[in-house]
Amino acid sequence: MASMLAQHGVKRARQSPEALKAQKDKETAKLQEYLVLTDDIFTKKKSSDWSRPAFDLTTRLLNMNAELYTVWNYRRNILTNGIFPASTPEEINGMLSEDLDMTMVFLRKRPKVYWIWNHRRWCLEHVPDGPVDDTNGWRQAYWLKELSVIGKMLDADSRNFLAWDYRRYVLASMPNPPPEANELAYTTQKIESNFSNFSAWHQRSKIYTRLWADQLDHQTTKDEEFELVKQAMYVDPNDQSAWIYHRWLIGPGDEKVVLDREISVIQELLTVEPDSKWCLESLVHYKLLLVNKHGEKLTSDRQQLLDDCRRMLRKLKGIDPQRARRYDELESKCTASS
Amino acid sequence: MSNELLTDLHVSYIQSLDKHQDDLAYHLTSHLRLNGVYWGLTALCVMNRQDALPRDDMIQFVMSCWDDEAGGFGAHPEHDAHILPTLSAIQILAIQNALDRLDVDRVTKYILSLQNPSGSFSGDFFGETDTRFTYCAVSALSLVGKLGLLDIEKTVAHIRKCRNFDGGFGSSPGAESHAGQVFVCCAALSIMDRLNEVDHDMLAWWLAERQLPNGGLNGRPEKLEDLLGPFGTLDPQQVIMDRLRYADIVHLIRPGKALS
Repeated sequence: MASMLAQHGVKRARQSPEALKAQKDKETAKLQEYLVLTDDIFTKKKSSDWSRPAFDLTTRLLNMNAELYTVWNYRRNILTNGIFPASTPEEINGMLSEDLDMTMVFLRKRPKVYWIWNHRRWCLEHVPDGPVDDTNGWRQAYWLKELSVIGKMLDADSRNFLAWDYRRYVLASMPNPPPEANELAYTTQKIESNFSNFSAWHQRSKIYTRLWADQLDHQTTKDEEFELVKQAMYVDPNDQSAWIYHRWLIGPGDEKVVLDREISVIQELLTVEPDSKWCLESLVHYKLLLVNKHGEKLTSDRQQLLDDCRRMLRKLKGIDPQRARRYDELESKCTASS
Repeated sequence: MSNELLTDLHVSYIQSLDKHQDDLAYHLTSHLRLNGVYWGLTALCVMNRQDALPRDDMIQFVMSCWDDEAGGFGAHPEHDAHILPTLSAIQILAIQNALDRLDVDRVTKYILSLQNPSGSFSGDFFGETDTRFTYCAVSALSLVGKLGLLDIEKTVAHIRKCRNFDGGFGSSPGAESHAGQVFVCCAALSIMDRLNEVDHDMLAWWLAERQLPNGGLNGRPEKLEDLLGPFGTLDPQQVIMDRLRYADIVHLIRPGKALS
């Protein structure tokens, strides 16, 4: 079973009985090594062995299995109880630097293992004061490096949410964080390289929520967001990221001018993409908002809008049958709203 | 493809899972063992075959995972206590009608000690926080009858901070919505009777959009389907929000045969 896991997706070439036996022997030997090592470490742990040899054993075992959270715990306890108390700040800093390097090696292979990310955070949080003439010097250097490290991880997989979470953690922890505008620019870069990056849109929604809470007049930046998301919709109308972000920008639909404008933007896209599920679904939602929020101000006939919605919902049931029952429910609301 | 669930085969499979001690892969997953036992047991219960795994052996195994120093359960004998396996242990004991084996006061103390001033819960004393751990704490306390000792307002306030623009929930304030986190947050809120914190319409919409053309469910927008998807998506939809009709269940079970 272990060998099947190791060769997942790869066609196994026909092997001779001798080759198969050799492989099985190799696996058995590896298993033995793993079990002996595990046993040794857990025995030492039970006896509160905080020595360097014990530490080195944890390195070996974590290299074989980076998901052993108990061994990560033990490793940290060895450092804090045994090795750090007998070390200078420079030595501690050096060891943490090595552990950070080790986590990077692991993360390249296993970028979604929580325990590895946790150890990285722990290392950063235990950097001692130093060097002598600059108490925060070591710390600053690490934090600055972290942003570039996390940038590389997100280049490799821009949807890795552990990496995004870690990015937010780094930004929140840095003693001198860059301005929000920098992070906004980062999300712009991510979105422009791939409109389908919902993680980047999400990050953007958080930054703007903070910025708009402070600014009294955010109409301009909001309009710029509508422009950006319109580009995304036009480039790929099937990608839901932009449509979900757009719905957030509209919000409760209090601004009739904005609703009207966006409805016509989407209506225009619909003429080019008449079977676009997202155009139709969004138009239904926004037209219902128009009816419910601005009933008394409607220039179009209220009934016309409801008829539009019903017609679009019937079409949606045809092109998006999986969600037919939700569309049924919405259709019944079109009749009831009067 | 069969039209029925091949129960006997599934039961045999579950029974076989503990018989791979010769495989490295078995040992490489020791950090998940107790959780694995819970899933196996639950699957058996759903199929009405709870007796397929010996009860006493299972209880003994659970108790062998008790970390007496911390007052919680580890994932495997000799592993450190953590809130994830602590919930699994309590769930297994509850299903097996063996909660009397538990030192309820100690484990309650352990769980409550993991709550942070912000209202979040850590997984263990090293401090990682995640709404998954909030769910584990709330569920575990509820199962042992100690939910009354929890500061509900503080716990709910933290979950509220994890709510996103799409109606979903993330692992921590600022984190992206993910079906797995939606499940744990909705479940925790449900247990605490605070589902009013959920924007039902918005979340139901977001969840409904997790279903892909092939019938499967993903965990986030524009990701591929996986098996966590259905659990994370359907559980909140049905059990909690009573909107299961938003999913095409037929298509989920039989890819290629959509709802007519």
